[in-house]
Formats: sequence, C-alpha cells, structure tokens
Amino acid sequence: MASEGDAHGVAEFASRLLLSGTRHRGAAKLADRLEGIGATLEFHNGEELLGFNGRCTRDSLRETIRILVECLSEPTFPQREIDRVRGELLNDLRIEADDTHSRAARELARFVFPNDHPYGRDPKGGTERVRRIRRRDLVEFHESHVGSDGLILAVTGEIDRELVEEAIAAPLSRLDADQEGIPAIPPPPPHKPRRATIPMPHKTQADIAIGGPAVPRRHADYYALNLANLLFGRIGLYGRLGRNLRDEQGLAYYAFTGLDARTAGGMWSLSAGVNPANLEKAVQSIRAELDRLQTDPFHADEIQDGRDNQIGSLIVSLERNAEVASELHRMEYYGLGMNFLERFPEIVRDLEEDRIRAVAVKYFTANGSSMVVAGPVGRARLSL
Amino acid sequence: MPTHVETLENGLKVVLRPIPDTKALSTWVVYRIGSRNEVPGMTGSTHWVEHMLFKGGGKLGKGDIDKFISRLGGKMNAFTDTDYTMYFETIPASAMDTALMIESERMRNAAFDPKEVEAERTVVISEREGAENQPEFLVDEELWGLAFHVHPYHWTPIGYKQDLASLDREPLYHHYLRYYAPNNASLILVGGFDPAVAMQHVREAFSPLKPEPAPEPLRLSEPEQRGERRSDLVRPGPADLLSIGWHIPSAAHDDTPALILLSTVLGGWRGLISFASGDWRPRSNRLYHALVESKLATDVGVRQEMKLDPSLLIASATCAKGVPLDRVEHVIDREVDKLRRTLPNRTEVERAKQQVRSWARYEQDGVTFQGMLLSAGEGLSSWDFGDRLLAKVEKVRAPRIREVARTYLVDEHRSVVRFHAQEGTG
Repeated sequence: MASEGDAHGVAEFASRLLLSGTRHRGAAKLADRLEGIGATLEFHNGEELLGFNGRCTRDSLRETIRILVECLSEPTFPQREIDRVRGELLNDLRIEADDTHSRAARELARFVFPNDHPYGRDPKGGTERVRRIRRRDLVEFHESHVGSDGLILAVTGEIDRELVEEAIAAPLSRLDADQEGIPAIPPPPPHKPRRATIPMPHKTQADIAIGGPAVPRRHADYYALNLANLLFGRIGLYGRLGRNLRDEQGLAYYAFTGLDARTAGGMWSLSAGVNPANLEKAVQSIRAELDRLQTDPFHADEIQDGRDNQIGSLIVSLERNAEVASELHRMEYYGLGMNFLERFPEIVRDLEEDRIRAVAVKYFTANGSSMVVAGPVGRARLSL
Repeated sequence: MPTHVETLENGLKVVLRPIPDTKALSTWVVYRIGSRNEVPGMTGSTHWVEHMLFKGGGKLGKGDIDKFISRLGGKMNAFTDTDYTMYFETIPASAMDTALMIESERMRNAAFDPKEVEAERTVVISEREGAENQPEFLVDEELWGLAFHVHPYHWTPIGYKQDLASLDREPLYHHYLRYYAPNNASLILVGGFDPAVAMQHVREAFSPLKPEPAPEPLRLSEPEQRGERRSDLVRPGPADLLSIGWHIPSAAHDDTPALILLSTVLGGWRGLISFASGDWRPRSNRLYHALVESKLATDVGVRQEMKLDPSLLIASATCAKGVPLDRVEHVIDREVDKLRRTLPNRTEVERAKQQVRSWARYEQDGVTFQGMLLSAGEGLSSWDFGDRLLAKVEKVRAPRIREVARTYLVDEHRSVVRFHAQEGTG
C-alpha cells in the first residue's frame, strides 16, 4: 500500500489478481495445478509488503515455486478476472460495512493515522476507487512494484540447502527488479484524539475500539511497550482489562488489546464487544483500568509473569512450520538479526520494571486515545 | 507415527504420541459430552460448563489456570461441539505436570462458585450476541433448526439466549458431575516426552479419580425428512446468503469416505479440522467454477459435518450484488444434478484425493494440531479416526461418488435457508 501513492486500492486489487492467470495458464488451470499437487498459495496485500504464503510437500516444492514465480512475473490481469475481483472487493466492502468490529477498527485506524497514511486507510480504497481502477493501473503497479527488490522468502520444513538453492533461490533470482525500487514509508502525521459513534441499530452487540499511536518496531521503547501491552490486555484471558471486564463484571466475551509496530510507526488498540445496555459501564471500566496504570502500576509479580510468558512462548509460539517461517521473515524484514531468538530472553530480562510502567502510562492514555463505537449505540453517552 | 494407547482402571483412555526432539507438549482432554446431550430448556449448558472450568476448584484457585499457563508462555483454550468438548494446553514439555494437574482438577473438582456462575452468564450471552451480529450465524442456526426436528442437533452449541438467561447453577453443576468423569473422557499427549515416564505421571494425576456410571446412550434419532424444507430470513445485511443442507449419515458410516470426495469435487477440501487451513479457500472445484468464476457469487463453500449421529452436508454461497438467490440456487441444483447423473472424471477424483492426502499431512504441523486431530478422532470414535478415514478415501472410485450423490443429495431430504439482505444497514 505504501507503494501505491494516490492510487488507493491498486495494491489490494493487484494482489488479488496474482492467481488469476499468467501468460502460460488461466485462473482455473492455476488452481487445478496447485490443488492437483496438493499445494496452496495465497497472496495478500499489507501496508508495507505484498506477501505470499503457501504450503507444499517436499515432492511438490519445485512445482509450487515455479507457479509462484510465474504468478509474480507473468500475470496477465485478464479483464474477466478484473471484473470478478472488482465484484468481490465491492462485496467485501459491503460486508465490512455491516460488521461492527470492522467498522470500529477501520475508523480507529483512520483516526490514529490520518491524512490517508497507508497505515490508516482501507487497503481496498473504498467503493468509488474500486469502481474506477482499470487494467492499466494494475499492470503499471505490478511492473513498478512487484519484483525482486526487497524480496524475502522464508521457508521451513522438510528442506535442505541443496533443495533451497536449486528449487527456490535459483528461480526466484530470475525475477526482474522493481522499476521504482522500494518506497520509503512516511512517518505518520500527528494524531489528534477523536471520538465517533457509528449507529448500526440492527445489530445485537456493539464494538468498542480505542487506541492511539505507539512506536515503530525498531524504537527503543518497543520491548517495554510490548510487555506492558501483554500485561494490560493480553496475558491469560486478556490481562488486567479482561480480568475486569470479562472475569469480574461479565460485561464482554472479548476485551483485549493489541500492539502493531511497523517500520515507520505503530498503533496500540483496545477492542471489546459488549451488549449496548452495558456500553457506558464498559467504557467507564476501560477508563478506570487506563487510570489505574498510574495509581496502581504493574506490580513486580505481574511483570515477572509477563517476562516468563514472553520467554516461555518462544517454544510454544514456534511449534508449527508456518509460525517459524513467519518469524524468520519478520526477523529479516526488521533487521533483527538471525540470532534474535537467542537474544530475546536477555532483552526481556534486561527490561527495567520502571520502564515498563512508564511506557504504559505514556502510551496507554485515555486523553491521548481515539475511540470509536459501532453498533446499536442508541442514546448511550460515551465519554472516555 | 508411534502412538501408545492405554486405559486406566477408572476408564480414562490415554493416548500418547511422543515426538522426539520437540520441546513443546500439547495436552488435550476430550469429554464425550456436547450439545447433543442437552435437552430443551437447558441448551447451551455444555458450553457454559466449559467456561466454568477455567475458574478453578480443588487445588486450583480462581485465575490459577491462566496464571500457570501464562507463566509458561503456553496457550490454552477449549471448544464445545455438538458431540464432544475438548480442553487443551500447549506448553514447554518440561512442564508436563502442570498440564496434568490442571486437567485432573478440572475433571472432578471444578468449583462452580455461584457468584462466578452468575458472572459467566453474561459472558456466554455476550458470546452469543457477538455471533448474532453475523448473518452467517443466523443462517446456520436456522438451517440446523430446520433440518432437525427431533434430534438435539436442532440447536447449536451456544444455545438459545432465553435458556442462557434462565438456567440456574444446579442443573449446570449436575451436568458437569454427570459427564466429567474419567470413563467419559480421553487424555491425549503429543510432544517431547518419554512415553513410559509420561504414563507414570498420568497415572499419578488421574488414577485417584473415580468413574461415574456410564452415560445413557442417546435414544433420540431424527426421523426421515419427508419433503424439502425452506426458510427465508429477511433482515438487514450486506449480501444475500444461501445455505442448503442435505442429510448424511454419521461419521463412522461406510459412505463417509465417498462423501468426502463428493464434497471435495463439489466445493473443495480444507482438512478435517478447518482451523489448520486458516483463510485459504479452494478454487479448483465445481461450485467455485460455476458460481465465483462466473461472478454469480463472491464466496462458496461445502462443509461435510462429520458427527456421531447422522448430520448434514452443507453447501453455502454469498451472492454477488444484484444476483438473485434463485439463480444461485439453480446453479447449485444444476451442479448437484450433474454429480448425480455423471461420473466425475479421473483427473478430478485424483485431484480431490491429492487434496485430502495433502491436508492430512499439513494437519500434522505442530503438536497442537496433532492433539486436536487425535482428540476430535476420540470424540467421534477413536484417535486414529483420521488415518483410517484417509486409507478408505484412497480406495474410493468414481462410481461410488456418484452413488452417494444419488443417495444423499436428494431434494426431498434437503433444507434450504435463504438470507435476503435488506439494504441500508448503516
């Protein structure tokens, strides 16, 4: 998305078409071949990256990579498929417009990353953009931005060096370079906290989304903030927030926080789904938990639990091939070094308790956050 | 893969699958209790009980399960199905005793503190209300209600809101005591351990637990459906939805392998546990070609619901904007009719088998998925249910696929739910 400039929605549109036909075979033949060898391949557009992931066996690896390279280098963007994907995107927009969680989260991202920053806008670009995108926009985007520059491929499973070099590295190295190189991602504009309600009277439950700017992945505060986020709204059944809203008051089935740290910026966010009758109470309780970070900061034993969780999770969160491949990719993309997993326990142990408390107070603030509520909001008076 | 199976004196079946050089361990307990064991007025009770089993009791105080697993960096969860309920923890293998202690306490000593039961009432209602926000949930609930008039598959595991609002602690607690016993459960361990050592620890944790009288077998069975049933939901929503369910036999039936290939040819295959496939959707199948490629629908799917009792094979579609539900239904009818009349070609059958074969391998990725697969197998029949099924799928030939299409994809035995989306939804 960072590459598309003002041509909003083109990256998403193009990514959905990469399996829709190449110079050698059409969409149906591609699907037949991939599924005929029992492989999967998916492309997905992100704020910074065009990603692909797939599964195959050792026996089908060569063919899967051949198809991947074909899709990346020789897509034909057939008009028939463009029309199909356009319809799919318009339907997705309609479905998201009817989803309380999507509506609240999308609007919150727009508030936190204003002025059409790539981190804040809908990757689909909106209904009007989807209707206006033409084949030449997609071809131009592909020629300019889908190539070998910055390509990272992480693979794990039943492989060895010879197979990687011959079946993976060699074909991928034949991809052309991007015409325009890798774009720099601009820093997000300043965030001015906002409040919004999106009335959806036909829904049963309302979704609350609260959040504000956080830090880029390589920022000095990242690890402390990541641990603070874990303690506030993730650990166990959602940390302090979940304990209050779900466990003690029974107000919500889910109430958790997330920390999204990327190259040029980041966002901290909170999500809760509540019955409309409990909206005011839920927002007050969230406010109370945010305030409590100052009046009753994380205790030493809470912090120790968080450290133990992060260090222990190295084993559990990397038990699957897909998880290992994804982590390897992240390590390379953010330049964390291939010894990152060995260093991680020390990084976590070295975090000072007061620093963890301080970043929580600095970033998780009611006044510094935006809030969006989507659903049957009625006459609820919501003030964070 | 080597798998050790042993049954303790109290009836607990133990399935151990050691995976050398793995540092993680996934511990699963599956109870043969699901929403099929509920009665009207207490729907959703099995799921509510599941929630209560995270709240301590016996050696576990409130919040202890969270705390113990979190400190290990582990993950845990539970799932209530129509036929069974499963609990799991995936943790470093060195902490096996923690998982065994949690599961043995959970089996007989859950507290059901009245205050906690009350607090959880609104949580399960909230879970249901969150689902109600999704038109797909409303369609699914309507379809099962339509297709089953007698059997408890009539309701879904989340239960009805009015039952959740009125249920008391006592029936919930009784439900727990009745069904949560070692002789109604299986314990599955997958990961880095020595089976002999693990078995010793399992015995120490579970042998002291007393069995209950075996639950009465379910005597309700769904009478044969006499004629097509239809329901139209007219509600605000973003897109028209269509869902068609045909009655199929239980998972253990001899026709299940052929039905798997029938489902795959018609709508693709995403494995026995759809969790493993994430958002990936198959495209090399007849409904995708006929509906999505032709821009009549934006999404299609076929689900073969493998259950203890006769169940449903469900085809569903999200209509493209402006495409009438009738037209989409007509195309599904046409494709189903082709399957009844004509043999699927050899390439198609081989591709379907390859998909089933590959997903059987992908589902072995990681100790958690393996544990889930073995547990679901135990819930339905036996831990090796998936492997045995796969072997049978390999032997299915095209005529058998046509035969099961003729037997089960019968218009008189189907139920159809159509969601008519009203415009202007915000």
